[in-house]
Formats: sequence, C-alpha cells, structure tokens
Amino acid sequence: MLKNLLRVLFVILAVAIVFSFKWSDMTRYSKYSKEDQVNIADLSVEEILIQLGDQKPIHYISKVNLDSARMGEEMIKYGRLSDKSNKRISKYFVCTDCHNLQQETADPADDSPQAQLDFGKKNKLPFLQGATFYGMYNKRHWYNGDYDKKYGELVYNTRDSLYNAIQLCATQCSQGREMTFWEIRCVLHYYKSLEYKMGDLVFTNYEIGLLSKAVVQNAVLAREIIHSRYIEATHETFGTSKLPEIEGYQPNMENGEYIYVYGCLHCHSPEKNITNFDLKMDKLSFKFLDDKLYKYNHFSISHITRYGTYAISGRKQYMPQYTMENMSDEQLLDLIAYVKIKANE
Amino acid sequence: MKRKLIYLASILLFFTTVTYSQDAIAIDSNAIDTTVMAEAPENSSIVTESFAAIRVINNHSIEMIPKRSLEFIVAHKFGDLAGSAGGVPAWFGLDNLADVRIAFEYGLFKDINIGIGRSKGIGLLTQVVDGYFKYAILKQRTSGMPISLTFVSAMSAPYRAKDSDSSSVTSWPTVAHRFIYTTQILVARKFSDRITLQMNVGYNHRNYVTYTDQNGLFFAGISGRYRFTKNLGFLFEYIHILDRPSSVTYTNHLAVGFEILTGGHAFALTFANSRGCTENLFIPGTVENWAKGQFRFGFSINRRFKL
Repeated sequence: MLKNLLRVLFVILAVAIVFSFKWSDMTRYSKYSKEDQVNIADLSVEEILIQLGDQKPIHYISKVNLDSARMGEEMIKYGRLSDKSNKRISKYFVCTDCHNLQQETADPADDSPQAQLDFGKKNKLPFLQGATFYGMYNKRHWYNGDYDKKYGELVYNTRDSLYNAIQLCATQCSQGREMTFWEIRCVLHYYKSLEYKMGDLVFTNYEIGLLSKAVVQNAVLAREIIHSRYIEATHETFGTSKLPEIEGYQPNMENGEYIYVYGCLHCHSPEKNITNFDLKMDKLSFKFLDDKLYKYNHFSISHITRYGTYAISGRKQYMPQYTMENMSDEQLLDLIAYVKIKANE
Repeated sequence: MKRKLIYLASILLFFTTVTYSQDAIAIDSNAIDTTVMAEAPENSSIVTESFAAIRVINNHSIEMIPKRSLEFIVAHKFGDLAGSAGGVPAWFGLDNLADVRIAFEYGLFKDINIGIGRSKGIGLLTQVVDGYFKYAILKQRTSGMPISLTFVSAMSAPYRAKDSDSSSVTSWPTVAHRFIYTTQILVARKFSDRITLQMNVGYNHRNYVTYTDQNGLFFAGISGRYRFTKNLGFLFEYIHILDRPSSVTYTNHLAVGFEILTGGHAFALTFANSRGCTENLFIPGTVENWAKGQFRFGFSINRRFKL
C-alpha cells in the first residue's frame, strides 16, 4: 500500500519538478486564498517532506485556516487587524517595513546578496534588511550568527522556535508589545500560506534524476535533496563601518540606484513616515550623504548600513543594519558610488 | 452690538471648521486621501519638505504632523537685543524673557492637526493658553497641483486674574472677553529643493480691546525658506496688518531665522521684533521696532514622537 502511494507521489513529484522550471523565477504571493483547483507546482514542500518521513516542525500547521491567515496578513501589513479589534503591535513599525512577502531570489537555495539584488531589481522588490516571509515557514532556525551581539541571550530561545522568533521580532525588532498566542497563530497561518511550494525549488537535471530514484528507493536521500534546494537557516554576519576595499572593483551605478531607491527610500522617503530622517532623490540629500561619507556617525553610509542604530528611551524608532548576507561590500560601494555621482552631477 | 456680532462670527467661524473636520474624519477613517486633488496625473506625487517644521518661525507653515505623531515644542523669545532695554546690561536680552511657549501638537488624522499650548504671554496678557485646529485642504504635487493650501484656526485666552480697574484691557467683564481668535489661509509653493514661499491671509479677533483699538484685524503675510544644505536653512516671516486704526501704536511682525535639523529634532534660531510666540499674541500685540533695536533672539525646539 505504502509502495503504491509512494509511486503515485513520485509521478506527481516528477511532473512538479518539470513545471518548477517554468515557475521557479516568478515572484510568488500568498496563496491562502487559492481556489479549489490543485496546481502541482503548488504542492507544499513541507508536506512532501513529511510524506517522505521528515519530522514535523514545532510550528507545524496541517492546513491553512483562511480566516487566521487573513488576520495574520493584516497584522503583518498594518500592525493590527483591519477592524481595529486588537491593539497595534508596534507604534513604530509594521513588519513590511523590513520584510518582503515575496520570494527574494530566483533560487531559494541561493540567498546571496547578489542573487537578492538581481531578483529584486528584476521584480522591483524592496531591498530590505529582514529576511522575506516567503518560505519563513520552511526555515528551522532563526536569529542565527551575530544576532546575539545585538539581542544577547534573548535570541537563544528563538533559534529553534518560529513562535519565539515572531515574539522577539514584535517586542525587540519592532519595539512593540508582546503578541498574544492567537495573534502569533494567525501570523503562522499566514506564513503557512507563504510556504515553499515544489514549483519554487530549482533542481538540476542530475538532481531530478537522483530525486526520482530516491523518492522510491531512499526517502532519506530524497529528503536531503529537497532540503538542499532551499535555505533553512541564515547565519547573519555583522560588518564594520570601514569602507570596503575590493581589488579591481568597478562601480555599478544601476545597482547603486536600485539600493538607494528600493532600500534607503523604502523607509526614509518622507511620505512613509517611518523614520525621522528623510531622504529624497534630490541633490541636497545626495550632497548631505556625500559630505558625511567619512564620518564615524550614523549619517555616514557605511556606518549606518553596517551598524544601524539602536532603540533608546524616547527614540524607539531605529534602523536595523544590513548584514553581510543582506548587502555585500560590493553593493555597499555601488551605493556610495551612486550617491557620490548624484551629489556631484 | 457690533462687538457681539463679530464675536459671534468668529465663534461660528471656528466651529464651522470643526464641523467640517468631522466630515473629513469620516473620509479619512476609510484610508482615503482627503486632500482635494484635481485629477492627479500618473507619477504625480505630493511635494514634501516644503518647510522643516509646522511653524515657519512663529506662524504656522503648511506642513502637517503625520497621523498619530505628537510634536513637542518649546519656544523662547528673549528681551530686546539692542536699544535702550538691550545691549550689555541685559546681556543682549538674555536676562529678560519676552515669552515662552510649551506646546503639544498632534496629527489627529492625515490632514488634520490639533494642538494645545501654554505661553507666558506678553504685556498685560499673561498666563495664556492656546489651541488650534489645522486642515490641509490642498497639497502641492509634482505635476497637477501647483500649490499647497492649509486652513488654520487658533484660539487663545489669558487665565490670569482680571484687573479691577475697569479701564484696563484686562478687566474682562465676562470669561468670553478673554478670548482671541486667529483664522488664516496659508498658500505655499515649493519652487525648488531649496526655495519655498508661503503667503497667508487671515482675520484676527480680540474680544476685548482698548477704546481706541478695534476688535477685528485683517492681515496678510509672506514667509519663506531657503535651504543651504539638507539640514540648514534660512527662514523669514512678515505679517502686515491691513486695517489697524491710526490711533493705535503698533508695528508689524518681522522675523528671520535659521533652522537646524538633526533627524528627529528641528531647531530654529530666530530674531524677531515681536515678543509673543503665538499668532494670537504677535499679530495684534507687536509694538517693537527693528530700527530702534527692539528685536530679540529666540529659539524653538520641535521634537516629534510616534504615539
């Protein structure tokens, strides 16, 4: 019986892999409102892994509850339910100030800064400090790497628990209140609606062949192959304010402009009212940044990018830093080069 | 009789704006931009940072406090910098405090601000509380709408004990006589990243004035900003009273200043002939003359909080 089931599953999987090439580079949005029609590329990676014998995660949700997911989405986008029946989670930020809701790279197994920039530029996605919520449900570890330098021991119980990670994000990252159990459950349901589907993963021909066999003969190997096609934990590395020196570096103005417009202005645009420091596409802004380039304070691009600012009493809005995994040194230099050029135009 | 009519008219004007604001509230709660826009073309966006703060120097600017933000303002004006009351003996006015105002102003909705404040007051009008209502009717856009237009209505009342001398301007027969109102329309245009000009016309009404004076005053003004850098700018502000009786000694408010922005704080260092910090005091109550050295140093600190 189990064998027959696995065979059926294999056929479905094989078709899904073929289709994945078609869909893998598309920006994906929440599917919690999907229609009854089943799309093979939309099969849950998590469910397939569990079928192959993988352990369920602590935050496992078998089926998205549409109402809960809607409420989770409202809290993520607006900081509270749209009917205003709960208190705002944070006065200062909403989740989408720092996190995208779409896939950020063409290949979920490659979340390098360059892959993020290329995909973001192509799809006009905000270039943000936080990890995308797309596929957050599929991760297994959060706040890894240098985050303990910023949040100390608060990160330890978030590293294996998405529930605790959400709570830390609410109370520390957004400087808001503690979320209630039902609120976090709603967010988890929304995350579930943004989980990786088989169509999101990118396999090579060799991997397809290997996976086809492994699904029938070696479930452990099949799981390993699938796991290898997306990132389960990112080890964030904090940089320093020292201006990077890269041998043979050639500035890329297009990249610099993209980072300024879709990164800096995402929060610093005056219309957004997220920060107290406004930036625009005007010469005054560029000149200001250019003048402060070599200062050791938060007006210097390299300083603010790598260190960010911290929430202090009376000034809770702060800027999270771009880690080396969010923005490479080369990209930082592109941003600086773009600002310099615009300031001196 | 005439006085009562003007008093009633100014009360009505103030509350008409409140009634109007309630209509706007209903619209705003549906998250729709209440600003009147004449078919904004695509890619047209609202022009921002016309001024750094919600005041140019002492008078209002067209800038609004964003919704759910609170602005805390401390404004000071010192004594005469020069002239007979200034100079070294009074250390250029720093020994004398002309007026000080502490205020909390709030972005109630996207296009509606309210504020309350308390001033030391000037002359006989001391211990002054004030409040205002401000509504952004039009906002300048990069294409389509060439100007920003804002309505402001403010009310002040000194709460000091009244004078027993019935000839005094502070012998207020009733509580209503203590009130002063100023209603104005501000029209501004940001011409470039550096230059913004604003014109204002309005009506000031004092419910109790001296025998030779008149209750209602129409005025017009001009103010502007020139930005040297992102965080440093020059400001000026002039208000001309149009119909003051010649029997009254008065001057028009003229102020210049520099603004310094630090990201979160807006500082303004100013020089003005007027002593008062709010429009209800400095528009009708200025008698000092720049030419006689009767101008003073002042400063204001604006700090914005999210609530």
